Amino acid sequence: MNIKMMAAAAVVGVMAASMPAAQAEDVTLEFVVWNYSLDTIQDNIKKFEELNPGIKVNLTDYTWPDYQDSLVLRFRGGTQTDVIYGGQDWLPAWAAAGWVAPLSSIAPEGKVDALAGDIAGFALSDVTYDEEVYGLPYYADTISFIYNAKVLEENGVEVPKTWAEVMAASEQLQAGGMDRPIVYEYNQELPNFFDAFVAQAYGRGGALFDDEGRAIFDDPSNPAYQHLEWLQEAFKKDLVQPEPHESNIITTMNTGQHAFTVVYNYVLAAMNNAGEQPLAGDFALARMPGDTNSTLGFAKFYAVTATAAADPVTAEAAWKFVDFMAGSPYAVAKRWAVEKGLGFGQLPLLSDQDVIDAWNDWIDMGTLAAQVESAKAGTWTEWTAVWSAYFRPLLAQAMVGEASVDEVMSAGAERWNMLREQFANR
Amino acid sequence: MWTLKRYPFVWLLPALLPVALVTLYPVGHALWTSLHSVMLLFPGEPFVGLENYTRVVTSNYFAVALRNSATFTALAAPAVVAIGVSLALFLRRRFFGRTMVRSIVLLPWVLPGAISAVLWTWVFHPSFGLLNWVLLEIGILDRSVSFLASPWLAFISVLVAHVWTQIPFAVVLTMASLAAIHPETMEAARLDSRSSWKRFRFVIFPEIKPMVVVLLIYNALMAFTSYDLVYAMTGGGPGTATTLLAFQIWRESFSMYDFGAGAAVAFIVVVISALLIIAITRALPSDLFGDR
Repeated sequence: MNIKMMAAAAVVGVMAASMPAAQAEDVTLEFVVWNYSLDTIQDNIKKFEELNPGIKVNLTDYTWPDYQDSLVLRFRGGTQTDVIYGGQDWLPAWAAAGWVAPLSSIAPEGKVDALAGDIAGFALSDVTYDEEVYGLPYYADTISFIYNAKVLEENGVEVPKTWAEVMAASEQLQAGGMDRPIVYEYNQELPNFFDAFVAQAYGRGGALFDDEGRAIFDDPSNPAYQHLEWLQEAFKKDLVQPEPHESNIITTMNTGQHAFTVVYNYVLAAMNNAGEQPLAGDFALARMPGDTNSTLGFAKFYAVTATAAADPVTAEAAWKFVDFMAGSPYAVAKRWAVEKGLGFGQLPLLSDQDVIDAWNDWIDMGTLAAQVESAKAGTWTEWTAVWSAYFRPLLAQAMVGEASVDEVMSAGAERWNMLREQFANR
Repeated sequence: MWTLKRYPFVWLLPALLPVALVTLYPVGHALWTSLHSVMLLFPGEPFVGLENYTRVVTSNYFAVALRNSATFTALAAPAVVAIGVSLALFLRRRFFGRTMVRSIVLLPWVLPGAISAVLWTWVFHPSFGLLNWVLLEIGILDRSVSFLASPWLAFISVLVAHVWTQIPFAVVLTMASLAAIHPETMEAARLDSRSSWKRFRFVIFPEIKPMVVVLLIYNALMAFTSYDLVYAMTGGGPGTATTLLAFQIWRESFSMYDFGAGAAVAFIVVVISALLIIAITRALPSDLFGDR
């Protein structure tokens, strides 16, 4: 190489070195979400873009039932995807497949640990895989037992504390003329169909898996097994009205023709929304019935894809975006909590007066705090999502009496243990 | 000299090539996938021969899904054709509001499958559903029924919704076929017989028979590969009550992350569909595919 060429190369090198600052400001992030409250998401993006000129965020949304498939297709097809909504049940599989990146690989040193210290235990567990934090909570919630307080009061029914009491109260209400007192989200294609079952089993003090991750719910003395028997009996007695989606439950409960349901807390917020629902204010939260009153806590979160993390410019912008959406001072998480009643994983918001004031309108904060405190995370492995897809139709079959509880639980446990072994030998 | 007669294949190439590309490549890729272990959560895509086919055929859902698909097809295809032909014959008559009735009959055609599914989910809803309301009002039921939570009722419900969505196409094709019958033939038939059933059986049906065969084949294929209504109305449930083979392609691929097994089910569906076409065309011979 002659001197002229070396000089030219040096000039090009100096120019290139001076460019990254400008390039960092010209990045477009592809942000993929499920389509809950898109106006609020767009507004949050607008605020982020105002604070970070040069970073543009393109939003793509899918319906909740289509979300997982669509993301898998994007990952497999190499469609640019930078920041996503993640779910606790998908994380192990997506992380193991190398589709998402740990936040420590893109965040300034120590930042993730500092934020993790503010996250509720079950939520932190849900955003962690292989001891690495992969996301910050978009929202975190518990699956809760909801009742129509007015209906119970009018019928002289006490708020049930065990599942036996729920059955007795439902039969009493049915005898009094109520057609189907329990409204149940019955949709075997939704992951929350399994989550709600786990939450109810947790209420009984059940664990579905042992410490080594083996399935134990096929034991007739296991609370999950007993709870499926309970559900089968409730369906058989025509006490249950199945609904395909939580949005239907909001409307159905607001007819005043039903007393109990098991849903996310934000559904209670919607049921008690005075601007939209005729019976707003009639619905209340009770601890999950059972011996321990525990329930399933979970987190949905912002995660960054491995391809975004591999590019320094995109990674920097992606971190800024995730930090804006879920990091301290938790302005966006607070907005979701105040405006939409979404739960949060960031513990400092529990003592935020604006949140307390907003939530007091639709939920008893004391009961909620007790429920959150006793909530447990689910068992999420690389194969949970695949296994859940296999097990949910079996659950649905057993509930309506098309298969015996024993058949279903045995088949479910066998498949779980087989997958566990398969993945161990992967 | 380049003439259409001397080089017909060359002249067809501009049209055939894109079609071949967008058809053969995906089919070829699907065949390749069905012969490999393509499980998204496992590394590598090793060749496994017919293992995917063996696994799906011996799985506990396959026999149920195949039986459901066969029953669904056997009921849906004749129902669509019978109702479609009847409606087409009815709509040929002159009566007040005929244009409006025609528009209403064709309405399901313009609705996407997902919208139709939502609509029918509401029709069958236990609290707000039109069907429950009607049955309660006329006293057939004394309490509402959860149509989509009962296995056999869910199957019937999806079947009804599917038939509803397919009827307009059958009506349009049959009306086109009826319009092609020479007026003098119809006039002669009216003179020969006062029985409208006999006129249909001996004059009209032979004229529209080729179209009926086409409709039967088309609707058998549509029913056998039906997916969207099942997905949106029942998710294949309760349990496996409404799980059709086409739906299982999606479940294997996207719920189980097993694209190899999904592709194997897809190829089984293709083979059965081809057999269906042959069976129907043989069972109902018409002049459609022959020289006239």
